[in-house]
Amino acid sequence: MKEFTYVLPRSLPEAEAAAKKPGATLKAAGIDLVDRMKERQFQPTEVVNLLLLQPDLGGITADADGSMRIGALATLAQIAASKDFAAEGYAALREAAGEAATPQVRNRATAAGNVLQQARCWYLRSSELHCLHGKDGPSCLAQVGDNRYHSVLGYHDCVRVHPSNLAPALLALDCEYTTQLAGKQQRRRVADLFPLEPKAQLEEHTLLPGEIVIAFHVKAQPKSARSAYRESREKLSFDWATTAAAARVVMDGGVIQEASLVLAAVAPVPLPRPDAAKLLIGQKPSDELFHRVALRAFADARPLSHNAYKVQVGQAIVREVLHATTR
Amino acid sequence: MTEDRSTGSAFSRRAFLKGASAAAVTGAAATAATHARGPVELETFAPGTHAIALQVNGKEQKLAVESRTTLLDALRDRLDLTGAKKGCDRGACGGCTVIVDGVTVNSCLMLAIDAIGKPITTVEGLAQGGVDHPLVQNFAHCDAMQCGFCTPGMVMSSLQCLNQNQQPDRQTIQRAIAGNICRCGTYGRVCEAVERTAAGRGDQALRAPAHGGSK
Repeated sequence: MKEFTYVLPRSLPEAEAAAKKPGATLKAAGIDLVDRMKERQFQPTEVVNLLLLQPDLGGITADADGSMRIGALATLAQIAASKDFAAEGYAALREAAGEAATPQVRNRATAAGNVLQQARCWYLRSSELHCLHGKDGPSCLAQVGDNRYHSVLGYHDCVRVHPSNLAPALLALDCEYTTQLAGKQQRRRVADLFPLEPKAQLEEHTLLPGEIVIAFHVKAQPKSARSAYRESREKLSFDWATTAAAARVVMDGGVIQEASLVLAAVAPVPLPRPDAAKLLIGQKPSDELFHRVALRAFADARPLSHNAYKVQVGQAIVREVLHATTR
Repeated sequence: MTEDRSTGSAFSRRAFLKGASAAAVTGAAATAATHARGPVELETFAPGTHAIALQVNGKEQKLAVESRTTLLDALRDRLDLTGAKKGCDRGACGGCTVIVDGVTVNSCLMLAIDAIGKPITTVEGLAQGGVDHPLVQNFAHCDAMQCGFCTPGMVMSSLQCLNQNQQPDRQTIQRAIAGNICRCGTYGRVCEAVERTAAGRGDQALRAPAHGGSK
């Protein structure tokens, strides 16, 4: 790791001021950041530590309107074990957080850090290789190289996949997030956190330089709501998802009234599939129905040379997550 | 008892304050110190060495670190606590697992400065007065190791499993040690060692960890 100045702000305004300096980067637990700095793939001159801002950015708390606030610094372990998310409607959050990485990582990794971590493409993550994505290379190396873990959907000139477990769950529950920039707070839908056209040479999120994520907001879920997160992996534990899906369903009298479906690990951003989810509305759950939804969710898939398996496996995961929300 | 391993740099005023108030460094004492220097001056650790204090296995240890020094390097290279192992150095093997503030962490991905003021337990903390913790005794009894490189990390994840659940079932144990890779494949015997400890086997005099155990 190259030397850097470690800055320890004690308040949000201090953190904002420190983050504005050229060469500065924000750090929460640093699970992703320290890794990239050790690889010398990213060499900030100033690292601004947010961990001392627990009073502003930590914890999982209830807001007056019944919604839950997940502080940016809440850990994946806290989310997975939270009694506030015990109801079926919040299961996707618990499952997504609880399945990520390892106990050691979940004990430190934060909500915001998980959502904002950099893609895990092995070409992008190597300091030796120069690809198109923010590294001034001539082309996306994964498109012609080993792309077994890369995108099959929604990609343009860079086929990285978004690595966050939590993001698809937050999207399936139509969550919001609050940021602070220049002393002003702004609350938006989590969908706005990701670019509509996820190209190379762009940030993987829509935050402005120095903009700090404060919290995510989870709407109060009705008793009839159920949600789930499922992922496929090559190993039973301690592995990145090869495909993943989060879903939320509200049923009444055995008929699906509301539905959302979000794919992950198959595109450069977590990918809501509203057209596929629409097929569920007004229907009774059945494997035949879920099969059609799964086909629709991957209808526009364009697999690369080594990842055609992701389409079939991803469809199976969609069926599994829908069964989990309706059984 | 305080041991001073800080070398190569003079004790700064801030470092002294950190040492003196290490247990409450994120609390009121440190805040007061920050304010005393005025609101404009941000606390920073520039490139170069800085004297800090860490609470390791119930003892305050003074040592010199750089901003980029990981907790693992601080423990191994500065404090000579070589139980925690550097396998991958990327949070992918679990060999560096220690307990910080009541939870297991990959010490290779944690900056040493981030551990200031938090109780740290390493595998060395599981031997007191020459007597091993029953979990360690049961690792030996069950022969839960071959080459032994993963063992210190495996022991810490196992200890955390027992701290959180006094009678863990096999699945709970498996989930608890999922972040520790053993290339010799000793997982089954590790689970047996944890179960044997939960069943009260081994010298129970040291059953409860003295420091940094459960949160």
